Amino acid sequence: MTVQDSVAATPPAPPSFLRRTRRALVAWPPVVVISAAWLILMVITAAGAEWLAPYPFTAMDLKARLSVPLLMGGDFAHPLGTDELGRDVLSRLISSIRMSLLIAFFGTLIAASLGTVLGFLAAHFRGRIEQVVLMAIDFQASMPFMIIALSVLAFFGNSLILFICLMGFHSWERYARITRGLTLAANEQGYAAAVRQLGAKPGRIYGLHILPNIASTLIVSMTLTFPEIILLESGLSFLGLGVQPPLTSLGNMVGYGREYITRAPWIMLAPSFVIVMTTLSISMLGDWLRDRLDPTLR
Amino acid sequence: MLAFALSRLARAAITILFVVTFAFIVLRLSGDPALLIMSVDAPPEAIEAFRKAWGLDRPIWEQYLAYAWHALTGDFGKSMRDGRPAIDLVLERLPATLAITLPALALKLGIGIPAGIYAALHRNSLADRLTMMVSVAGFTMPSFVLALVLVLIFGVTLGWLPASGADSVWHAVLPIVTLGTAGAAIMARFTRSAMLEVLGQPYIRAASAKGLAWWLVVAKHALPNAAIPTVTIIGFMVGSLVAGAVIVESVFAWPGIGRLLVSAVANRDLAVVQALLMVIAAWMVLANLCVDLAYGWLDPRVRSGAR
Repeated sequence: MTVQDSVAATPPAPPSFLRRTRRALVAWPPVVVISAAWLILMVITAAGAEWLAPYPFTAMDLKARLSVPLLMGGDFAHPLGTDELGRDVLSRLISSIRMSLLIAFFGTLIAASLGTVLGFLAAHFRGRIEQVVLMAIDFQASMPFMIIALSVLAFFGNSLILFICLMGFHSWERYARITRGLTLAANEQGYAAAVRQLGAKPGRIYGLHILPNIASTLIVSMTLTFPEIILLESGLSFLGLGVQPPLTSLGNMVGYGREYITRAPWIMLAPSFVIVMTTLSISMLGDWLRDRLDPTLR
Repeated sequence: MLAFALSRLARAAITILFVVTFAFIVLRLSGDPALLIMSVDAPPEAIEAFRKAWGLDRPIWEQYLAYAWHALTGDFGKSMRDGRPAIDLVLERLPATLAITLPALALKLGIGIPAGIYAALHRNSLADRLTMMVSVAGFTMPSFVLALVLVLIFGVTLGWLPASGADSVWHAVLPIVTLGTAGAAIMARFTRSAMLEVLGQPYIRAASAKGLAWWLVVAKHALPNAAIPTVTIIGFMVGSLVAGAVIVESVFAWPGIGRLLVSAVANRDLAVVQALLMVIAAWMVLANLCVDLAYGWLDPRVRSGAR
């Protein structure tokens, strides 16, 4: 022990600049840094939407309809141009980012909580309850969620709360499956048995002991669900069946911008770019996290 | 093999029953069908008569059985829009959808599988990295964005291809390319990881250690084993032949199943939505069944149940 300590204590020669750069690049690949920076930008945008937007997102300026963005020779009054009603595209984009991120955030949270609880229930009670959960998982996995979502919207009509809850049903089965499997394994391990012997109630065992141990796998799954919900939400909103006007979301903007694709392509290009960048960034970050956090998913 | 096939068949039947039950529950939860179809201010006698005629006054389990029986025999009632049987409306749209999804499937497999195999065999080469980059972009880009970008380039700027409609063969090109590109990206990624997994196995080392030519190792030992996980994703793609083009059909105004679904949802034409749900579910279940049977055929371990 002491020998090892003294060895570790002798400072190694300071690494050269090149080696340090290389080490930093391996630890923090540029793709990951860019993805993280983009996501931070998105979160700030969503959080400070009221302060960042130059105009209210519904404010119309009929004299400045379809004005050109800065990159195509426009002016600073509307850096990303305006739409068919003279509404500032940048302001609408900021408001849309907030809406899409909020829906994806709550959707992911609902899916993860629901799936985890069902997974725990299946692993705890086994028997008939487990069979029911497994059958529900099979059913959910056998139908494309887009179709389920569309039929629910057809039957119930649309409201924002219902829509968010609906998004929360996307991919809960993934969490249920993971939680059930990992909990069954954990229940066989010493620590769960030890806590149980000490007289802990099931709620305590699952909430305080098993959950922290399987959390990294669940978090990695959340990085898959989050962009999927963004894509699903924007797809449905694009079809005019998701977020309803006057509220706006990224898919919604693309959907309305499509009408003006020949005269004002910037209306649909700006939100499209944000969707692609955001889902791409989360996927990149998720891949990187998976390699670091969770050897079982590799 | 027979017992295996039978157990899969039973599961398929259960899934179909699940879908019927789901549709029934959702339908009942969404409100009283009598009030939904008759107007709210219809005279009470008329509503009562409607209830009697449709059996809504009977106990709920009897209604369920009647509903399930009608659903399984393809009777979903009439479309509220044009009064024709809902199932006819759905079936007449099927050829149009298959006309774009089948060529797209060919494109997915024809590009995705060779690209994935090549990338796996030349791991970490430039081609591999490029394939993977394109594939990540392919499945993080929503289909409507890809579709609109293609329209912008080939329809608006270059003017080579029609942007929407279904009047000629040329109208099908952009929808097929949109569906095919995204699918090929996913296919390439799955094929590559399946191949990499297999190439790391000891039996591959054994096969090349005994002096077998490399292409024979790949063709005889790697490909058949990598085919097993790939079949899952192919099955998924076959399953989405009917319902996988909802957004693309809407962008290109293609008169298929997907557009019917969107318009039926927007109009709340419940009979048509239910008929669609049933047809899509039946197709998905059939595709899954085929995948399971293909598994049994490809992988003897699955057949005997020892996994």
